[in-house]
Amino acid sequence: MRALVRPAQYLGLAAYILFLGFPLLWLISASVKSSGELNSLTVSLLPEQWHWDNYSQALARQGLVRSSVNSAVVALASTALVILVALPASYVLARLKGVVRAAGVGWILVSQVFPVILIILPLFLILRTMGLTDSLAGLTLVHTTYTMPFALWMLQGYVSGIPVDLEEAGAMDGANRLAVLRRIVFPLLAPGVVATAMFSFVSSWNEFFFALVLLQSPENYTLPITLSTFIGGEGKVALGPLAAGSVLAAVPSIVFFSIMQKRLTGGLLAGAVKG
Amino acid sequence: MKTRGVSIAACLTVTALAVASCSGGAGGEAEEGPVTLEFQSLSDQPAAIEATESIVSAWNEANPDVQVEIVPAGWDGIYDKLITQFNGGAAPDIIHYEAASIVPFAQDGYLADLSEHMSDERRADIPEGVLDSVTVDGQVVAYPTELQSYVVFANRTLLEEAGIEIPTGETMSWDELREIARATTQGDVYGLGWGLASPTAAFMTMAPQFGGTYFEGTGADASLTVGEGEMALPELVDAMAHEDGSILPVTLTQSGSETLASFYAGQVAMTVQGSFQAANIANDAPEGFDWTVLPPLEGPEGAGQAANPQTLSVNIDSEHVEEAAQFIEFFTDTENLAALNEADALIPATTSAQEHMASELGEENGWSTILDSGQHFTSAPYLFVDTYAQWKDTVATPAYQRFLAQEIDAAQLAEQLQSGWDEITM
Repeated sequence: MRALVRPAQYLGLAAYILFLGFPLLWLISASVKSSGELNSLTVSLLPEQWHWDNYSQALARQGLVRSSVNSAVVALASTALVILVALPASYVLARLKGVVRAAGVGWILVSQVFPVILIILPLFLILRTMGLTDSLAGLTLVHTTYTMPFALWMLQGYVSGIPVDLEEAGAMDGANRLAVLRRIVFPLLAPGVVATAMFSFVSSWNEFFFALVLLQSPENYTLPITLSTFIGGEGKVALGPLAAGSVLAAVPSIVFFSIMQKRLTGGLLAGAVKG
Repeated sequence: MKTRGVSIAACLTVTALAVASCSGGAGGEAEEGPVTLEFQSLSDQPAAIEATESIVSAWNEANPDVQVEIVPAGWDGIYDKLITQFNGGAAPDIIHYEAASIVPFAQDGYLADLSEHMSDERRADIPEGVLDSVTVDGQVVAYPTELQSYVVFANRTLLEEAGIEIPTGETMSWDELREIARATTQGDVYGLGWGLASPTAAFMTMAPQFGGTYFEGTGADASLTVGEGEMALPELVDAMAHEDGSILPVTLTQSGSETLASFYAGQVAMTVQGSFQAANIANDAPEGFDWTVLPPLEGPEGAGQAANPQTLSVNIDSEHVEEAAQFIEFFTDTENLAALNEADALIPATTSAQEHMASELGEENGWSTILDSGQHFTSAPYLFVDTYAQWKDTVATPAYQRFLAQEIDAAQLAEQLQSGWDEITM
């Protein structure tokens, strides 16, 4: 009986992975099917005939590579900005008591209340005054601002989880404030920083509405905007090229995650040892 | 304290670097040399993009002093983009969009009056109902370019097997369609597949065939009437689906494109679709699939379909309204419009371009029948109603869906359409 437990666990795990990965498999399958096959009642994961033309259409016609680079620039820049600002700010929020903390937390919550459609026009006017509409810099600042409250919320939760006693112990051993932060707090915060960075990156990578409204020139389009051009008027959708474009669009995100995932696990382990 | 200072300095530095390194695009360019017009185009099909680029190139070559620059955009979210651009004073000079969506912009004063710029030749070439769709308060606010009509595609093999003679007249009555649907409903085959997941557009467009107008008046003064003419088509569909059993039920919950799979598989003998699907059927249908387009549908009040064309309009704040109008005049000449519509598989908005296309394409893929339907476009009162979009999304579509699912009867449908309207406009 016990011998069966491990295979059953693996089987369950495999089934769960298949369940999670199935939409991606289906996307890949759709990306190599012809339009006729996509519009038939016969459903199969493997295409009858491999139709690679969808990829050449996606790459050639829609400027997908350029948009991927734009998305990567905006997502990485806004992630870096979010972490740089949120890391010290969240420490202050978590450690300070009284009015500052209450006001900070209140600001975070209130900032989440306003729907995007309500702020887009004033935002557009401000950015226009600054000459930042139709620019990746402007979009980076918007993504940073938009992601910041939740990132702060996430990170201050991680900071709160680190016992103050650890910092006090470090101080008693002679470490100054900077040394305490650098040697004790930040290493323990690594998993939180990685998780927040992942959240910021994905938020920016997938963001559609701000990019739609703020970007005008095709050379500045980000991936979601370029992918949306596969959907036409009158209900027309270029499903094959759209799927191919989506597969290609997912690659940088997967690479980023696979790199960050190791850091996430490593940070968790480091935290466990320190704690 | 020291840490805080370092963090702030780092943030400011990174922000400054990001701003400096990423900046691109955006206005502020000094205006020298030729006039440059921004043309925000929504063309999405590769052939249509090519056709648009070709027309713009020809214009740019012939008009070195007025250069047109295409700014491609997608249909998804374009309304929000435009409303922000207009309010922010950053809208392009020339705007491609559909009539139903530009009318509110025209009513709010964002679009230039093109009445004086439109040539007499062009005005005479646009069918009256189509011109009505771009005329707001007596001003022509856009040039119509492309349209679609609802047509019936038929599986010729299934019709012939059922002993049906393929209709060939100038029009086909709804009674005739119902009869054919009944006759071809045999075994696993249903007579008709109709993608009515979003039924309001279809019912609004074809209501004129039954004398239905839905709306009277314009803007905030419009009123809704749900009478016999308006209820005739929903009741007919209901009867075909639930009394005759001649409509494949699942298609009533699908989009038009999704219904095509049943058509290709021979599950339905006919399907009502937007005319542009002719190109998709020609491309995607299985080898040997024998299909045709049946004559335009005609109700007791004629074969009229409400026109909601794609349009080109001019931003009223453009510094070059006249040049923009001249470009649109060029863009919509017979050969250009025919080439664009052929690429998009749509119906040109001018009679001369329809005739040109008919002579070029002949009977291929049902084009002559589809282009014939272009002569039956009538004005669409709903285009000029302020709260139409809200009523459509929050009242009409859910009510029609409940009706087609037999959750409510015809009297309840009429009551819900009316009371929902009253609630919105109170």
